[in-house]
Amino acid sequence: MNIEIKGLSKIYPNGHAAINNVNLEIGSGMFGLLGPNGAGKSSLMRILVTLQKATEGSVLMDGMDINEHRKKIRPFIGYLPQDFTYFSKLKTWEFLDYTARLSTSLKRKKRMTEVDRMLDQVGLLEVRERMANKLSGGMKRRLGIAQALIGNPRLLVIDEPTTGLDPEERIRFRNILSDLSQKDVTIILSTHIVGDISSTCHNMAMLNKGEVAFHGSPEGMIDQVRGHVWQVTLGDDEFNVLKTKFPVVSTIPTIGQWEAQFIATDKPHPEAKTITPNLEHAYVYFMENQLGISLV
Amino acid sequence: MISLSNIRTVAKYESKILWRNWFFRIVSLIGVGFLLIFNIAVFSEANTPRWSVISSSWGMPYANMILISIAQAASVIFLATGLIKKDKKIDTNEVFFVRPVSNLDYVMGKALALFKLFFWLNVVLLCIPLIVNITSPNTAFNPWAFILYPLLTSFPSIVFTTGLAFLCVTLLRNQPVTIIFLLGLAAVQLIYFMGEYSDILDFMAFRFSMLASDIAGFIDVKFMLWQRAFYLVSGITFLFATAFFLDRLTNHKSIRITTGLISLLLLGVSSYIMFSLWNMRQAPLILRENMITVNGQWADKPNVDIVSNHISLEHTGKGISCTSVIQVKNNTVKPLSTVYFTLNPGLTIDAVTMDDRPVEFDRNLQIVSIQPVTGIQPDQTVNIIIKYHGSILEAVAHLEVDQERYEAVNEYFVFAPHKKYAFVQPDYLLLTKDVLWYPDTQIGYSRASPTRERTSFIDFKLDVKKNEVLVPISQGELNVKGNLYQFRPEYALPQISLAMGNYTKKEITVDSITYSVYHYPENDYFMPYVDQLSDTLSFLITDIVNEYEDGQKLNYPFRRLRFVETPLQFSAYNKIYESQQAFLQPEIVLWPEKGGDIWPFDLRRRLRDMNRQARKQNEVLSEKQKQANVFSNLIKKVFTKQAGDQWFFDGRNSDEPDYSLFANLYAYNSGILSENWPLLNSSISHYLQNDKQPQNDYSRNINGISFAEECNSLMRESSIAEILTGNTGFNKIHKSVSLKAEYLFSYLGQLLGEEELKQFLYAWISQHPHQLTTYIDFRQAFSENFGLDIDPIIQQVYQNKEQPSFEIEDIQKYEVLDGDRKRYQVLFNVKNSGENDGVIKVSFNAGNNSGQRAFFNLRADDENKTKIPGSLSLIKKGETKQIGFVLDQRPVKITINTLISRNIPSIITIPSGKFGLRENTGLFEGERVIEQRPDSRQYIVIVDNEDPGFTTFSPVKATYLRAFLDSRNPSDKKYYGHWHRSYSKWLPTTGSDFYGKSIRSAHFTRSGSGDKIATWSPALQEEGFYDLYVYMMGKNQNERRGHGQVSYHYTIHHGDGKDDISYNISNAEPGWNYLGSYYFLQSGGSITLTDECELRTVYADAIKWVKQ
Repeated sequence: MNIEIKGLSKIYPNGHAAINNVNLEIGSGMFGLLGPNGAGKSSLMRILVTLQKATEGSVLMDGMDINEHRKKIRPFIGYLPQDFTYFSKLKTWEFLDYTARLSTSLKRKKRMTEVDRMLDQVGLLEVRERMANKLSGGMKRRLGIAQALIGNPRLLVIDEPTTGLDPEERIRFRNILSDLSQKDVTIILSTHIVGDISSTCHNMAMLNKGEVAFHGSPEGMIDQVRGHVWQVTLGDDEFNVLKTKFPVVSTIPTIGQWEAQFIATDKPHPEAKTITPNLEHAYVYFMENQLGISLV
Repeated sequence: MISLSNIRTVAKYESKILWRNWFFRIVSLIGVGFLLIFNIAVFSEANTPRWSVISSSWGMPYANMILISIAQAASVIFLATGLIKKDKKIDTNEVFFVRPVSNLDYVMGKALALFKLFFWLNVVLLCIPLIVNITSPNTAFNPWAFILYPLLTSFPSIVFTTGLAFLCVTLLRNQPVTIIFLLGLAAVQLIYFMGEYSDILDFMAFRFSMLASDIAGFIDVKFMLWQRAFYLVSGITFLFATAFFLDRLTNHKSIRITTGLISLLLLGVSSYIMFSLWNMRQAPLILRENMITVNGQWADKPNVDIVSNHISLEHTGKGISCTSVIQVKNNTVKPLSTVYFTLNPGLTIDAVTMDDRPVEFDRNLQIVSIQPVTGIQPDQTVNIIIKYHGSILEAVAHLEVDQERYEAVNEYFVFAPHKKYAFVQPDYLLLTKDVLWYPDTQIGYSRASPTRERTSFIDFKLDVKKNEVLVPISQGELNVKGNLYQFRPEYALPQISLAMGNYTKKEITVDSITYSVYHYPENDYFMPYVDQLSDTLSFLITDIVNEYEDGQKLNYPFRRLRFVETPLQFSAYNKIYESQQAFLQPEIVLWPEKGGDIWPFDLRRRLRDMNRQARKQNEVLSEKQKQANVFSNLIKKVFTKQAGDQWFFDGRNSDEPDYSLFANLYAYNSGILSENWPLLNSSISHYLQNDKQPQNDYSRNINGISFAEECNSLMRESSIAEILTGNTGFNKIHKSVSLKAEYLFSYLGQLLGEEELKQFLYAWISQHPHQLTTYIDFRQAFSENFGLDIDPIIQQVYQNKEQPSFEIEDIQKYEVLDGDRKRYQVLFNVKNSGENDGVIKVSFNAGNNSGQRAFFNLRADDENKTKIPGSLSLIKKGETKQIGFVLDQRPVKITINTLISRNIPSIITIPSGKFGLRENTGLFEGERVIEQRPDSRQYIVIVDNEDPGFTTFSPVKATYLRAFLDSRNPSDKKYYGHWHRSYSKWLPTTGSDFYGKSIRSAHFTRSGSGDKIATWSPALQEEGFYDLYVYMMGKNQNERRGHGQVSYHYTIHHGDGKDDISYNISNAEPGWNYLGSYYFLQSGGSITLTDECELRTVYADAIKWVKQ
């Protein structure tokens, strides 16, 4: 599915502009939407899944305006909202069957097969009879992705899926997404966790204050920061001075000293050495740029 | 726009969610438990259920559905608001919003989920009465009732409540506020409006009339279906509106617009239904008003009298087709250029002929006026034929009944059945004169001229073309010619009625009178309880009739008496100018379906009670004796009123059904026609009707004073004419008229001799059977017989507002040996300190009416209650009479009825207490005027609670709630009932047990910690030692609750300081009780009583200071 987002803005009744003139083009595969809390990711997601209207601009999905063709578009959408923890008193399979019945026109037997297949795919088949509200946090997210996937959507919108998950569940979840990305499905993954993007997405955009700060591949984003990430071992006094001047990416305390990584345009310390950047460095770099902090 | 598959999906899983909701499960369990107890307690054979609650085959499921509906409405409100509320806050539900379901699918799915759930809950709950019904040997099983009542009551309510709750929570976006709002709405309807506008506002259908009859089926089906349709359509409208306002983007804006338009369309439909309902509701009221106006326009116009009326009737399903051949006569002294008749405005006149010539006629609602070409000369007789057909508008009946009374709910168990005044439907027909089904020359009620009485007795003939099934029943001898039923009354009658139904007859002829019971085939429930009376029934009837006729001193004037079962919705009212209700027609009693809720018809329970009583008293009664007793009990209590009913409400609720046969002895047999004194006829009827009613103070103890005293107060302010034409409520008019009647004839009886007066009246009726006599003739005969012109006395009684006021003093009672006989002398003085002469009626009771049962519920028919005849006394204004009785039995009570007076209580009942023994003393029987005795030398001061020297202090903390409740219930009551509750402040109440000159009252309050105080402060003119006495109610005061030693706490503020006294009232005698002796200064002193007491209520009445 090809998604064109043109001049999209969302201004709430209280005057807050959640999204401001966003232009994006998203094709098949995993698409990462990175940005801090309040960047406008969720608003953009909700517009994409037809839960709310944009104030300005348009979104075309395979050439169809989502405002005009909601009925045609909705069957293609799978959506996992950000806060997906509350469940009514339904069993795991019942919850999935509920969404399946609304998404597909499969007969009962086939539908139940599909439900079990999906539960198996997300590793919940063993707990199919358990009440959904009794599942663990990770299981709930997996049930969430299962319900989003049921009915074979062509667009999967996943909002902050790994927040609050332990590392094991997070890796498990990323693997599920990676498997999905092999299919002809557009997956939009919204997150403020850089690792989710770097491990799964080939294409991404970074939103900050409702505007697109970057659009391209994660590598492209990393390239822009290449030569600006520095590592140096410092004493307490020097570290305290430098951290007020440059954004610190990481610090590792050693005996009486600090091994620190900084983002800076120029060498921040005579002993500093450039290191190979990753997406996290790039994210910090972009964020600091957006904030207007001098990296010089 | 709408997908059934989606709706079913949402409904399936949302109903699962609801089913797993703890609130629903608890409510369901409570519902099951409550209905289980209710059905076992009320309907099951475990407790010999009342016949009235199981007699109707529709009743059990309907009663259950009423109870279910109320609880269900509250549950639906809670659950429905929860269903929609979630969608606003929880992201999880947004996964459903992105699915290709429309808003309408979503809302309808959720609504269907609720509906499914409550549908099955209804099914489960209804299984309880179903099992009870099927297993009960005495209850008819009606499967339709179990199907139709849920459809009519519960289902529209669920849809309406769900829709309203969905819409409110969608718009208000706040679940708690919505719940409070909707529960408030339900509570207002349930509590505030209750019966008022229940035909329109009752969305829960808990007071809406839907009780079907086993004879006539559902009543007013159209209104019922429209009312339920309104709530169903409104509910659906709200669901569409919810989908329109739902905070979710629709699949397409056109869908939203369509949803909005459909909700608007549905709103239009529901508005139209409501508009139609309102019109259907108001049309009868408007018609009644218009008819009253039209009656007023014709009331004073002279008219012909009907001599005979031969009616031929054909029942055409929902209507009738009639030909009325009427012979009329001009009994006025002038030629009449216009002749007019009344006829139900629902009936269309096809043709009118006069002496075989067609004549033009005018129609104005109920009035049909004809202008004969040549006029009708005095004494001329002409024949008029009126052909008409159509339906009957019931609203024409009982025009004198005001709107509040007309719309008042008909109470029956938990139901509010319709009030029907006629039935015209394919399977049943019931017509009485009240619905003007045949032409009459008598004008009905109008405000300008409320005093219209019948003007003639008519020779009726009625021919009814019988259809295949329905059996016609009317007055007179029946001749059947093919399918033509001819009724030929032997005597002229004031009115005629017709019932047609699938009747079965049971008949017996005793002493030339044929008694028939007409009932529906399935409704002979009474047979097992009278089956052993076949060989004794005629003797039993003879005994009852003889006893009745002896008691009433009048003979039954007809040749037959037909008891015709009618649908329980058939209703009637008390009337001002007639002593009978429409349940009694000449020769016919229209008894309610299976006995309705009239308890003597509950023959099984009566037999059970009899068995219990017999066991208790170690009596052995044969089955036949028991059946005979039960049968007699039914006839005497319901029809002949030789035995009083269980409860006596003294006229405050005066439209209680009355099946008394007395009208057949007087009103349908005789009458005195008087233009000036239209009340005279009903006064005679009231006076001669020797019904027995228990004399208890139930009404006073609930309301503070009795209804008669309220009416006495009214009659001090207004003459009877003013009461009749003013805005006085009917009950007061009715009671005032009957009080006046009683007073008039008591007064005449005292002047002329009661026996002589009654004999004259009986003779007058016997000499003028089946006809009306004129007042002129009656007055003349009265004058010739007694040498007294009755007219000025009637005038004085009806127009005077001044009333006497009686003080009963110096009661003496003692045993005397009169030769070998032990006799009882009772003497007392009666002083009339009022503004007018007055009559008192004294009677005694020798029965043993002690005990709690007797206190609460004195029955006139109690075998052990022996009334000793007393006498009437006329006490002139300012006069004091000593009245003496010498009795052979020792009385336990003296009852002094002051009739119309200022006295409260107007009927004073004094326990006679202990009788002393006197020897060598003369006996005095009769009355003598005595001089007022000079004041006693002994200085006595009495402070009663009515006196200025009596004050109370009640420290009631003002709260907002109290202020609100007080503002909602402004009370102009002076006295309060003290039976059912005690109040948190001192309030006055009345009763014979209390001290007082003409007003016997006391203050009472709920017992407490001593904060509330009553104080008696005497204005003493002499300093010195005084003996103090307190007036006590006596045993009632402390025995009622079975307490042991009980004390009142007095503080005496006397000349030497103050003393606290804990006064043991357990042994107090009725009357004055010694409290102590103290020195009082002339400057004052006082006695206080606190509210501290072991009993629930403390009474403060009077204190007496007697100088030593």
